[in-house]
Amino acid sequence: MVQKEQTKVSLGRLITPSRVLVADEYPGKKELIEALVRAVCRDYPQLDPAYVASQVLKREEGISTTLDTGLAIPHARLEELTDFAAAVAVLRRPLVAGENELPIRVMFLFLSPAKPTFFQQHLQILSALAETFKPEFIEELVSLKDAQEIAARLAR
Amino acid sequence: MKNVSEPSAGSSRVKKVVVLTTAMLTFIPFWKAAAVVLCDFGSSAFYAGGIAMRAFGPAFPWYILAVMLFSGLLLMLELEACSLFVRGGAYKIVREGLGDTAAKLAASALIFDFILTGPISAVTAGHYLCGLINSFLEMVHLGFELPVSVVSVAFGMLVTLYFWRQNVKGIEESSSKSAKIIAFSLAVCFLLAIWSFITIALKGAHLPPTHLNFAPEALGWAGHIDWLQTIGLVGMLMAFGHSVLALSGIETLSQVYREIEYPKAINLKKAAWLIFGFALLFTGGLTFLSAVIIPPDLIATKYNDNLLSGLAMSLAGPNILKLLMQAMIVVCGVAMLSGAVNTSLIGSNALMNRIAEDGILTDWFRKIHRRYGTSYHIIHLIAAVQLVVILFSRGNVYLLGEAYAFGVMWCFVFEVSAIIRLRWKKAAQKRDFMFPLNIKYENYYIPVGLILLCGALLAVALVNLTTKQVATVAGLGFTAFLFAVFSLSERLNAKRANTMFEEGYRERINAETVDDLKDAFAELDRPHRVLVAVKDPENLYHLEEVLSTVNADDTDVIVLYCKPVENVLYRQDMRSAAVDEQEVFTAVIFMAEKYGLPVTPVLVHSNDAYYAIAQAAAVADADEVVMGVSGRYGANPQIERAVMTWGAVKDHELKHPVTLRILWEGREVSYRFTR
Repeated sequence: MVQKEQTKVSLGRLITPSRVLVADEYPGKKELIEALVRAVCRDYPQLDPAYVASQVLKREEGISTTLDTGLAIPHARLEELTDFAAAVAVLRRPLVAGENELPIRVMFLFLSPAKPTFFQQHLQILSALAETFKPEFIEELVSLKDAQEIAARLAR
Repeated sequence: MKNVSEPSAGSSRVKKVVVLTTAMLTFIPFWKAAAVVLCDFGSSAFYAGGIAMRAFGPAFPWYILAVMLFSGLLLMLELEACSLFVRGGAYKIVREGLGDTAAKLAASALIFDFILTGPISAVTAGHYLCGLINSFLEMVHLGFELPVSVVSVAFGMLVTLYFWRQNVKGIEESSSKSAKIIAFSLAVCFLLAIWSFITIALKGAHLPPTHLNFAPEALGWAGHIDWLQTIGLVGMLMAFGHSVLALSGIETLSQVYREIEYPKAINLKKAAWLIFGFALLFTGGLTFLSAVIIPPDLIATKYNDNLLSGLAMSLAGPNILKLLMQAMIVVCGVAMLSGAVNTSLIGSNALMNRIAEDGILTDWFRKIHRRYGTSYHIIHLIAAVQLVVILFSRGNVYLLGEAYAFGVMWCFVFEVSAIIRLRWKKAAQKRDFMFPLNIKYENYYIPVGLILLCGALLAVALVNLTTKQVATVAGLGFTAFLFAVFSLSERLNAKRANTMFEEGYRERINAETVDDLKDAFAELDRPHRVLVAVKDPENLYHLEEVLSTVNADDTDVIVLYCKPVENVLYRQDMRSAAVDEQEVFTAVIFMAEKYGLPVTPVLVHSNDAYYAIAQAAAVADADEVVMGVSGRYGANPQIERAVMTWGAVKDHELKHPVTLRILWEGREVSYRFTR
């Protein structure tokens, strides 16, 4: 069923300073995803970080979620969730996970409820994230001092 | 793992755009399709009557008329054959239904007739032209006339050489030109008929006799079998057999079918009706009027090889007007007959190519011309044989006519048998048309009508074997020779395990590289656009869905194939999985032809198909983007990736909503971008 896009996604609602990770560089994509999963799961006791990470990594085995703008949106749809959840990592130096992988400057972990009624909104948010995190915006985020500033910028 | 200095936005974007074109992507209305067939099929009006007259006497118009009525049945046979959509005409149909050996035999026989169609048409055109010049010379009392045999042979060779060159260059037949020729022929036919009726009213006339008076050579071996001559039906079959050359060119319908526009099945039926009506009036009607108006002795002596010119010159009225009428007939005849020469070259070349694609002919035959991209060795061969036949005929149309019809009849026998067999073999396949007279039994339609037709064809073909000695000896000899060549080269190919001969037809596609995507869509002018992304020639369900539902009047269909280049985003280099674009677009064009809808095929080189699709859709201002499901990833990850890419590529507000759809067997996942 086709559902219309309704509003622009509110990043401020999804991202709080505790869900922002800032690093100069990161050892690997898998580790970065796990770190972001842990950051989300702190606010969702019903979620098992290992299970969530496995679901996200399973999805990553399929079609890449990295865009050529430097944004990666690893994501998963989870039965345990009734609302959207997210965490973001901003890297000062791009991460390249493999020979055929694009470099990542910002990783936006995005978790959605698995119920089919959320799927259209899930797609809407994915599209909106890709539209928002253009190279200029990513540059701006990278230049910000800390998680507080990044969260504030995302909330704007 | 490594960290690099900067990600490069746009690195995944489209690298190169290639617009693919093929003549087959423009579809023609039914009347143009009918015109193409009639340029060949209708041309037999210029020689069939004269040949039949010489074979069995003044009863010939009844039999030409009967053959024209019979052509209605054969057109219905072609309708069912086309509705099976087995590409490649009679050869492929026979192959599907009866197997390789029967197909090779049918093809060998058909090529024999294709090769003869050229000379018979070219030489007849020469006769008509020479007849006109001689009529003029007679009128101005110059006291000499041109030698008909020399002129007809010379003209025949010139026409053949001209079309040989055109075919080597790959210049396609123009359906518009055919339509103009047929429109002119119709006007001439109308004028001639009116004038003929006036002549009949003024001079009076009798219906042609029905008794048969066979020339000794027209009886062939049957002349030595006394008891055969006592059976009236056999005599009628013999006469019918000597008239079936009027069917020459009817098989062109299966070649034109792929070009007919949507709604294909309905338009094909309309084309068949038009062909039938025109052939009945033009070939049947004019032959009949000729027999009524021209004195039989003049047909036998002067107008045997240019019957319709004889009709013009036997009309009531001043000589100058009659000469003008004859000139109009000659213009129309030369145009149609020359068209038939061209069709014979195209038809035999296409047939040889289909056979070559099945691995039956060696590399030498398939060699492509470096400049024109045509299978020039085959064209050279056919043209050379046709030139030799013209020379050996010494301009004798009757001899050529006697040799003709072996292949057509036997090919029809094979084709109808194959279609009968396919009623069982492909019982579940939907047919837009079925030859009439069927009895439904469980899931099958028992083809009573087809069986009767097969019986009739077989009877005529067998009778022809005994009466048409030239056709039997030459036809059997040529068919056996060609069949031996096919079998031998097939064995040679098998031994060499030649990888060139992969199964399947490949569309010849012209590719034009353009600077950017905008240029690729510059010629699209309909208000709506659907972009269909294709990847796997075996997975075009989504394209078929689009083609079966789209409103072609207001929507352009763009078919995009993204050829992977280096530095891809996937876990492995997708170049290894890249399918040959010719294979993809051959399947696309095949489907477009099936629905008779034009599509714009575009090939882009990109390291990410999703970027290429999003960019192309944005530039094309598409209202809808349709993708097939990936068996490897599934629809949800695909649509997720597609919407992400769309967001990354989007740089302005949308002018109208865009719907993204992923389709697979009876299911769909979609998303609508509204801003």
